[in-house]
Amino acid sequence: MQSKNTWRKMFGEQQRFMLMLIAPAMMLLILFQAIPIFIGGSASFRDWMLNDPKKTWVGLSQYTSVLSDPAFLKIVLPNTFIFMFASVIISLVIGLALALALNRPFRGQKLVQTILLLPLMVAPVIAAIMVRWMFNDQFGIVNVVLEALGGEGQPWLVQRWSAFSVIVLTDVWLWTPWFTLLLLAGLQSLPKEPFEAAAIDGTTAWRVFRHLTLPMLRPVIVVCIVIRSIDAFRTFDTVWALTGGGPARETELLSIYAYEQAFVFLDFAKGSAAAIIAALIILVVGLVLYRLLDRVRKMS
Amino acid sequence: MNTLQRRFFDFFAPGARRISFALTVTVVCFLFAFPVLWLILTSLRPQSGVYYVYRGLDFTLDSFVQVFANERLVQAFVNSAVIATLATIFSILVTVSSGYMLSRFRGPIASGWFGIIYALRCVPFVTWVLPLYFVEQRYGLYDSYVGLLLPHIAVHICFFSWLMKGFFDGIDPSMEQAALIDGCTRWGAFYRVALPSAVPAISALSVLSWLFSWNEFLFALILTGQHTPVITVVMAQFVSEMGMQWNLMAATAVLALVPAFLLTLFGQKYVIQGLKI
Repeated sequence: MQSKNTWRKMFGEQQRFMLMLIAPAMMLLILFQAIPIFIGGSASFRDWMLNDPKKTWVGLSQYTSVLSDPAFLKIVLPNTFIFMFASVIISLVIGLALALALNRPFRGQKLVQTILLLPLMVAPVIAAIMVRWMFNDQFGIVNVVLEALGGEGQPWLVQRWSAFSVIVLTDVWLWTPWFTLLLLAGLQSLPKEPFEAAAIDGTTAWRVFRHLTLPMLRPVIVVCIVIRSIDAFRTFDTVWALTGGGPARETELLSIYAYEQAFVFLDFAKGSAAAIIAALIILVVGLVLYRLLDRVRKMS
Repeated sequence: MNTLQRRFFDFFAPGARRISFALTVTVVCFLFAFPVLWLILTSLRPQSGVYYVYRGLDFTLDSFVQVFANERLVQAFVNSAVIATLATIFSILVTVSSGYMLSRFRGPIASGWFGIIYALRCVPFVTWVLPLYFVEQRYGLYDSYVGLLLPHIAVHICFFSWLMKGFFDGIDPSMEQAALIDGCTRWGAFYRVALPSAVPAISALSVLSWLFSWNEFLFALILTGQHTPVITVVMAQFVSEMGMQWNLMAATAVLALVPAFLLTLFGQKYVIQGLKI
């Protein structure tokens, strides 16, 4: 009974209700996210090979070993950021254009909308395998079409930047529908009156978009950017299935790097250190993005 | 182009704008659908024919017959469906209350919870999936239904709580306050008043949750082995460990696409109505 009394004393009736509402979610998060992150954090300070888990404390040496790895600094880190910016910006622009097109009625609108949502239904890993097949240098459809048009087939996936572009392209294809959905939902919840007034005034479509739609949609756009940036930063499936980080680890992203350290080179500690570094970087990025989101919300 | 120019243009070229719009839409649709069309085409080719897809006219349903004859594949389909469905139900149950809390209350508990959710959402999957492998092995959850299901629920909590909060923010709380004044308990107000009004958000997130779980790969790759085959992992194995069986991979992928397609076909309306951020 003692504990129940302190529980009552510490929290009011409303606070207890609040805690009860989040209790199941919190329990799952602690068990399946917080504890593993803690274990990973602890492992990153130890000597922990998967085939020889000594688990002796080695301080920060795993971190220095990751941070002084030229592959990490010169390839993995820039790759991850370039990938994040390219993927988010391109799919935002295309997704916004598609949402605007779908927001007005035309014949076959429903069919077009379903087709544009197709990538959402395909597992990213399958999409990546399929794209790898399409860009195969000998049997891929892309080279066949290129050669039929008089061009020259390229060994797409064995050169760094062409392989990287194919990865970005796949990611854009996969996640554009996600932008389209969120932006379309945002467009449909905008008030109708300003648009009717603009139509009566005979305002051009571009001016309506620039001075009405865009400012009103800005909060939704920023949320989209925040969500997708965080997701793009931790992309795994697409790269893993498309290039496996190759050629010669040149298209590796942070997630792939951490996975490889742990499960290919069996160095669980170094993999964990890389994963913790990735988490810290994205936390900072996420914080900056959240401040941006807050500012936009307050502006409108 | 100003209004006058546009009228001029429309007068001399009636339908020109409509035709160019239709043309653009068709091209974009084709580009979006192409990888899926190619997948379907590959699935209909005989094993040897996949390398000559752009020439021959050999088509066969053989790959689909082989898929259905493969016990492991059928098992994988069942597993994926069960896990996606259960993960959807439980993650909705857990996040609807968490999102409600975030939307209706202020103070240190609410903002603390939001901070935790936002931070955990940022953490890359690999950061917690690698150690989770050891946790699950120690507790005998590795390669089991529960061991895959629970992380699937956990992974949705942060994002869906956020979306649920956004939806509840758009619902006027005065109805719940009226219910409280009329002598309803807090739970009653949540359960009887707020929950029914959240049905659009619940249906939207159910569709998304099911699609995400059905297509999930990394957790399944690390947390399952021989006993719990999941469709994405089995498909990926067709073109790595078991040799290059493109036709079988494609046939399985096409079959995996069917439920996702049906769900999106009927569910997209609810997703667009229910997503408020």
